[in-house]
Amino acid sequence: MRIRKARYASAFLAVGALTLSAACSSGGADDGKKPSGDEKKASVQNFGIGTKADSTGPAVPVEGAKPGGTAYDLDQAGFDYLDPGQQYVSDMLSLQLLYNRSLTGYKIDAKTGKTILVGDLATDTGTSSDGAKTWTYTLKDNLKFEDGTPITSKDVKYGIERLFADYQTQGPQYVQKWMFGTDYRKAYKGPYEGKELPDTVLATPNDKTLVFHFKDAHADAPYAMSMPNVSPVPKAKDDKQKYNNHPVASGPYKIADYKPGKSLSFVRNTNWDPKSDPIRNAYPDKWEFQLGIGEPGLTNRMAAQSGPDKYAVNMSGSADPSKMQTLTTDSQYKSRIVNEYQPYVEVLNINTKRITNPKVRQAIMYAFPMQQVQQAFGGGAQGELGTTLLSPTVAGWQKFDPFGKLAKPMGDPEKAKALLKEAGVPTPVKLSYAYANTPRWQAVSLTLQKALEKAGFQVERKAIDPTSYYTVVGKVNTPYDIYRTGWGADWPSASTVVPPTMDGRNLQDGTNNYAFLNDPKVNSEIDRILALTDISKQNDEWRKLSEYVLQTDTSQIPFIYDKYFNLHGDGLGGVTYNQVFGTINPSTIFVKQ
Amino acid sequence: MLRFLVRRLLGAAVILLLISAITYFLFFFLPSDPALLSCGKNCDPQNVALIRKNLGLDHPIWVQYWHFMVGIFAGRDMPVGHCPAPCFGYSFADQQLVWNTISDRYPTTLSLGVGGAAIFLTVGVGLGLISAWQQGRLFDRVASAASLLGQSVQIYFIGPIAILLLSTKMHLLDRGHDPNWTGDPGGSVSGLLLPCLILSVIFWSNYSRQTRSLMVEQMSEDHIRAARAKGMSARYVFLRYALRGAMATVVTIFGVDLSAVLGGAIITEVTFGLHGLGSLSVQAVLRSDLPLEMAVMLIGATIIVLCNIVVDMAYAFIDPRIRLS
Repeated sequence: MRIRKARYASAFLAVGALTLSAACSSGGADDGKKPSGDEKKASVQNFGIGTKADSTGPAVPVEGAKPGGTAYDLDQAGFDYLDPGQQYVSDMLSLQLLYNRSLTGYKIDAKTGKTILVGDLATDTGTSSDGAKTWTYTLKDNLKFEDGTPITSKDVKYGIERLFADYQTQGPQYVQKWMFGTDYRKAYKGPYEGKELPDTVLATPNDKTLVFHFKDAHADAPYAMSMPNVSPVPKAKDDKQKYNNHPVASGPYKIADYKPGKSLSFVRNTNWDPKSDPIRNAYPDKWEFQLGIGEPGLTNRMAAQSGPDKYAVNMSGSADPSKMQTLTTDSQYKSRIVNEYQPYVEVLNINTKRITNPKVRQAIMYAFPMQQVQQAFGGGAQGELGTTLLSPTVAGWQKFDPFGKLAKPMGDPEKAKALLKEAGVPTPVKLSYAYANTPRWQAVSLTLQKALEKAGFQVERKAIDPTSYYTVVGKVNTPYDIYRTGWGADWPSASTVVPPTMDGRNLQDGTNNYAFLNDPKVNSEIDRILALTDISKQNDEWRKLSEYVLQTDTSQIPFIYDKYFNLHGDGLGGVTYNQVFGTINPSTIFVKQ
Repeated sequence: MLRFLVRRLLGAAVILLLISAITYFLFFFLPSDPALLSCGKNCDPQNVALIRKNLGLDHPIWVQYWHFMVGIFAGRDMPVGHCPAPCFGYSFADQQLVWNTISDRYPTTLSLGVGGAAIFLTVGVGLGLISAWQQGRLFDRVASAASLLGQSVQIYFIGPIAILLLSTKMHLLDRGHDPNWTGDPGGSVSGLLLPCLILSVIFWSNYSRQTRSLMVEQMSEDHIRAARAKGMSARYVFLRYALRGAMATVVTIFGVDLSAVLGGAIITEVTFGLHGLGSLSVQAVLRSDLPLEMAVMLIGATIIVLCNIVVDMAYAFIDPRIRLS
């Protein structure tokens, strides 16, 4: 489960430029034209699970690629964590591929972009037994840490054991919770007091084998094993929090120098065996990360590509919105653009504790001006019109538009008024609308207010400080009726979307069910679907449930499928994209010689 | 002099203590919760409570403040490990010792501040002096117009244009990068030249205009006329008497400006992608990183207070009528 929290630094620093852009966007939103054709439709992958043969290295060579050279990454922020145990968000997921290997991982075809899950450290994506409660993994041969020490199943087990320590608060918690339940820290305190995880939950019968025993069935365990924190950590090198500054490499590169928030350099890990790795080509000899580069300066540098910037990518950040018009219309940038789906869906939550009548919620849905909001959002290159609660990056995704939003993307105020009349509520219906006080969301809020007021609502907008936005709207007693949030799947299955955002049991402050939906039918369906052991059947059922919520409860209004849009230097080849992470895939990149 | 210095330093300590307390306590009046901001995607109450404990936010605010202040002078033990003095704690956002981050970033701010100040003081005062000397002539008019123009522009406007023209298109200057004085002194100079030049533009204009008007005013003073009547040369009187009279005001402005740039030139650093205290302070505020906020605030305030004391002391040397007491 991943929440999309905007990078507010850029917003703050580029207020002038963005305000201009936002004004232009909203001003041009009512002209009745289709969105500008500044984007191509991103392709949708099917995210299958690979076979044992697919899991065998070395990685398929990229056409025209040669080893050597230095690749660069320009990044607006820094990396909060290098410790794989603490990594969870897009930029870190992408970064860790350079030095960290998990049990499984995503193999991306450089030609077609086809993405499948394969064994990374493991020989395959795992073998299940006991109704998908038990999962067995076997490590490949010749796996070594950067210092030449062999990687054994004990090292992977230790890497998982340390996730239970009190300082490990940031990384995914799937495996821990599947082993012990929500209060997993009470069951096991981590390895620092000399205790190991019992064999009844994680056994290592030999140096090559790991056997996970979960409390319940988890058909999507192979995906959870691809998270960065299911990876080996050498016990001798683990100094708790300080490990964050010097994680020991199991991947093709090792850290040469790290200045937090400023720079990060990688050189080759000579103990990495390419024959064991089906995912990483690792062509460049070095990777240099330049961190903390403000926008729009960063986008200007990517566009100008002078000096070493010719060999640069921006792994996870999209181009500055104020530059979109130039970048999408000037043909000189065309060959350098990557414009693909991210796993996030932008939704307008309707607080179901305050707006209790579904007809009123549906009226908001009909009145919602998707097209104008898309323009205020940054145009089609930054987000496609979205009508489903699941992203196209989720396996089994299908088009679904029960309210005909794509046919009337500018909203249907008449239909909304009719629904309000049907609901028997006095009009105008008052709505308190909270938005994060950034140029983008200011522009969106004005557009939305205008459209809702045409449809029989009276909207009171409330700007919230961006740093406290999620805190405010995530409170159970939040005083707002409507507010936007973004959510993305951790892996291409809706099991990381539907339960966290739609399960109404145990609603509390900090919940990710921002609409506070508590529909008994949805709650019981979640339990039923989680118990399914056939993952494709499960994916199909998640999709159906999300469609039910959209159509019947209408607690969230999806409006944008986020997209990554940025340039890379033309000195780089093999630039592929990882739709699961929503980032550039560094594994196939090469420096043109 | 010593009494003056002791009194001012004690006053400075009180001011800094007040600033630290106000900053610290104001932070907790904000509606944001650092633990919730730090919980990433795991924001269930149990995890948030654990983060709150790890960050030391589970103590009463005044206890946290006491620990923070003691840490600056004596160091302290934290959940992450021992933090030696001067301990500003661990960053909430990037899990680093704040002092290490400050130490890493300050050379950039210091280099930018000193380099920029050297340029804006030399160019500004120089232009002002020549304009006053050439009062009413072509140079004066051109220099006055240039100063007015310089004062009207902003770094975030001319910075990107200068990068585009001078670096990207014409390849005359480096686009700007952090200095590495021990490893690459030459590269450090070239990397700071353009940022320093652009930083100086908005400052030297003010110095030029101020110096010119002060010198013109000084030149009409009775003691200047008396000196000229005694037969001293115009140039000697201009530089020996008039300039000294004008300098007290210039030094005052310089003290304020220097302390501002040494506390972090935010816009210049962000425009040129430099990693100094300025960009660090923005990052701290945007991420509600209290330890980092406190550190940059206290360091900036200390620089301002000390610069003010130095300026006050400088008055006594510039103007013999002033006695420090």
